[in-house]
Amino acid sequence: MRRIVRGAALVWLALAALMAVELGGSLARLGPGFSGLLLLPAAIMVLLVGLCFMRVRESGGLARFFALAAIFWLTVLLGLGSIDPLTRHDYSVDVTQYP
Amino acid sequence: MSEAQLHFQYEDLEHQSDTALDGMWLFLAQEVLFFGALFFAWMLNRHFHPLGYHRAAQQTDLLIGSINTVLLITSSAVYAAGVGFIRLDDRRRLVQCCVITALLGLAFLGFKGLEWHEDLAKHMNPGRYFGLSGADAGGAQLFWVFYWVATVLHGVHMAVGIGLVAWLLHRVCKGAYSAAWHTPVEVVGLYWSFVDVVWLVLYPLIYLVGRAG
Repeated sequence: MRRIVRGAALVWLALAALMAVELGGSLARLGPGFSGLLLLPAAIMVLLVGLCFMRVRESGGLARFFALAAIFWLTVLLGLGSIDPLTRHDYSVDVTQYP
Repeated sequence: MSEAQLHFQYEDLEHQSDTALDGMWLFLAQEVLFFGALFFAWMLNRHFHPLGYHRAAQQTDLLIGSINTVLLITSSAVYAAGVGFIRLDDRRRLVQCCVITALLGLAFLGFKGLEWHEDLAKHMNPGRYFGLSGADAGGAQLFWVFYWVATVLHGVHMAVGIGLVAWLLHRVCKGAYSAAWHTPVEVVGLYWSFVDVVWLVLYPLIYLVGRAG
């Protein structure tokens, strides 16, 4: 029983510490160039919950495949979806007035 | 006495349990893409309207958002401990964990309701009477569209999760689960932790990134 409580408490402490890091980073007003870095602690928190609370590693092969497939397709969605808007250059054109 | 009932289509209880867990993981995989589209909308609109997003994020309630984050990570830790207890056949402690988890979930929704009330009082509902004006108001409205869609969808998931934990509690009190058969406890745990994971991503997107710069 003590082992179960200690395990959950340790993960909780790690999650709380990571939350404090991202909250502190936000309040420190790092600037627009660094604001995206606040997602790094969040990514580690997601990983911790997946590994420790959802027990991905203890799951069967098919369950792990589904978990990896979710990450893969999310990467495709965010990555490929962003390529066009992030690389497109908008050239200004004169507005044509129609009679 | 636990109700480890083997259904006809499975070879044994292990096969039945694996199928239920695999099914939940498949469901969660499509949920990732469901919420992924929302995250994509946040990325895209922030790229084109950085000032509007920055200004809109200042209007969010950081204190309530942070309290809710602590509530959710605590609930996930408590429920994960509950799964550990039922593996040791400790039903009494699983019941305690389920009660605490459900109460923390209700507290989350209570705070969220309070926050929504404050947001509406500040006219942070996009549309004709939106509370911000000026050149960045369009971007700010897009942020608040994301906020409402994301938090309401997450709130619905939370309500479903609380319902599942309450149902599980009822079943546990009837002695339905034991160390030998507790797959529904694990399946509900996967769902609860996933709802936590979604919030762990929404928390910086809504409250932190816009404040940082």
